[in-house]
Amino acid sequence: MRTRLLLPTTLALAMAAWPAVAQPDGPMLAEACAGCHGQAGAGQGAISDLRGYDRDAFLLVWAEFAADERPATIMNRIARGYTEADVEALADFFSSLE
Amino acid sequence: MTRQTRTTLTRRGFGTLIAASAATLATPGLLRANTNGRLLVVGGGFGGASAARFARINYPDVSVTLVEPQTSFVTCPYGNLILGGRKQLSDITHSYDGLRARGVQVIHDRAQEIDAEGHRVTLAGGDVLDYDKLILSPGIALRWNAIEGYDEAASEVFPHAWWGGDGSQITTLRAQLEALPEGGVVGMAIPDNPFRCPPGPYERISMIAHHLKQANPTAKILAFDSKDGFAKQGLFQDAWEELYGDMIEWIPASQDGRIMRVDTENKLFVSEFGEEHHVDLGNVIPPQYAAGIARDAGLANDSGWVPVNPRSFEAEAARDIHVIGDANVGAPMPKSGYIANSTAKTAVTAALAEISGRPAWDDPVYFNTCYSHAGEDYGISVAAIFRPTDDGFEATPDSGGVSPSGPLSEMSRNRRLEARYADAWYASITDDMFS
Amino acid sequence: MSDLHQSTPRVRLPRSASAGDTIEVRTLIDHPMVTAVSGPGPRDMLARFEATMNGETVIAYDFANGAAANPTFTFHVRAAAPGDFTFTWTHEDGRRFTTEGSVRVT
Repeated sequence: MRTRLLLPTTLALAMAAWPAVAQPDGPMLAEACAGCHGQAGAGQGAISDLRGYDRDAFLLVWAEFAADERPATIMNRIARGYTEADVEALADFFSSLE
Repeated sequence: MTRQTRTTLTRRGFGTLIAASAATLATPGLLRANTNGRLLVVGGGFGGASAARFARINYPDVSVTLVEPQTSFVTCPYGNLILGGRKQLSDITHSYDGLRARGVQVIHDRAQEIDAEGHRVTLAGGDVLDYDKLILSPGIALRWNAIEGYDEAASEVFPHAWWGGDGSQITTLRAQLEALPEGGVVGMAIPDNPFRCPPGPYERISMIAHHLKQANPTAKILAFDSKDGFAKQGLFQDAWEELYGDMIEWIPASQDGRIMRVDTENKLFVSEFGEEHHVDLGNVIPPQYAAGIARDAGLANDSGWVPVNPRSFEAEAARDIHVIGDANVGAPMPKSGYIANSTAKTAVTAALAEISGRPAWDDPVYFNTCYSHAGEDYGISVAAIFRPTDDGFEATPDSGGVSPSGPLSEMSRNRRLEARYADAWYASITDDMFS
Repeated sequence: MSDLHQSTPRVRLPRSASAGDTIEVRTLIDHPMVTAVSGPGPRDMLARFEATMNGETVIAYDFANGAAANPTFTFHVRAAAPGDFTFTWTHEDGRRFTTEGSVRVT
């Protein structure tokens, strides 16, 4: 079993054991979010803090964005760019942050 | 990083490596002199700074050296807000101290020559740096004389302000704008694709108009374009009509908008078909290509840009050199800061896979959001998610896109929020580069 | 048919050249090129573009429905003295828009 150790953009460690089959890489996917949502999703100005976001709520809200069922300026367009597996990985990641 | 220094008399041509001790190499935060692998990053902008920082955080055993001529970094993004009178140069200038504190060895010099075979880079000051892996993020060069009469000397009269540099281009342009005679004409020459920052010229038009509306309301902006369409065009043109009346005239190529010659002495823009336009202020954004260091190393193709592997960003023309940011052939990904920042991380995982034993990100996703300020409290955006294909990049279908259109009476909340989000983007992304 | 669109052809030629030099010729004409195939009409299309150098045709092009509005042509010819050019765009209704230009070919 291969242990992948990739530090997120804070001092907090997110360790995961990955099987040989490719799975979306939550921390790496989340790197792109930092450009707006700040380091480790801590938020910035008007853009929300994602740390410790309830996992189920994350999935629900993301799905609403993707379906244009939730008011959004940009997250609806962004949400549609990711697969379900990607979103699960992101939900795992952000829900694990403090 | 083993380094030949000036004081030890090694220069290009001598070729002798001298391993420096930890004492002579001591820079604040450098953890160890001889570490597990040497990553060299050339270019300290959106791509390079992001790459260096990500590498130090995630691969602490790899030594990272960053070479950047500027001692602090002036972003091109948000430079337009200086024109609009909403920001100062200090607001868009960033220190490299944060990267130093993370253990990046920052060298302020210009990389002059790459020896891809020998895995070394020579700096203008004479030093030679050896690397195991090179992340090359050198940005663009301007094609001087592609527009007849527009050379480096001309850019002091007609600024381009299409790189941050030392901040002088954007501050000169701002000064010229403030000194524009009453009712004067601002001329802008906009290039054909591909060029750095597709919405940039149009945000610039907006911010100039925003300034003029208050300071010089009878002035005019003539935007001469070598294209017949542009990024977020519908949104920009709606905003111009709503906010600036008839101050802005956009002339597309099909209406003789391509500027092919400029005369800085007589202050003229001359079009493809010979129309002469007098301007009081001339902003010329010339055609571009990859920075000279990439082309001189033989990394670019006939287009002047560097083709790369879509998964690793390794240059097709050389092993162990990963080219990120504006210099590469990334279409349809735009040449944007966010793309440089996003792709930098994938490139680092690929570059350091061998050294670290950790696999590269084998299913990468690349991300872009470009915010533009069309006016005060009037932000618009375009977002896109890309994935590599076997021979290039593709936008993920049925996703991304531009802000919804509509009159201010319906969209004012959306526009105000996007303007705030744009400010937050700027703070977040520069944190991701320099903090 | 009311308000026939009067087009202004534009041409860019080098001022001078030596005989045998390859020179670049750029042309542009403003014309809406309405096909009325999948959009509203009436149809308003140019049919043909032709350029001559010293009386001889150097390029001729028959437009099809796919032609874009404001058609532009850039082509290259080997300059021959004296270097007198004519450019003619012919409308489907027979009208012609012409312009001339010359290159001092020595």
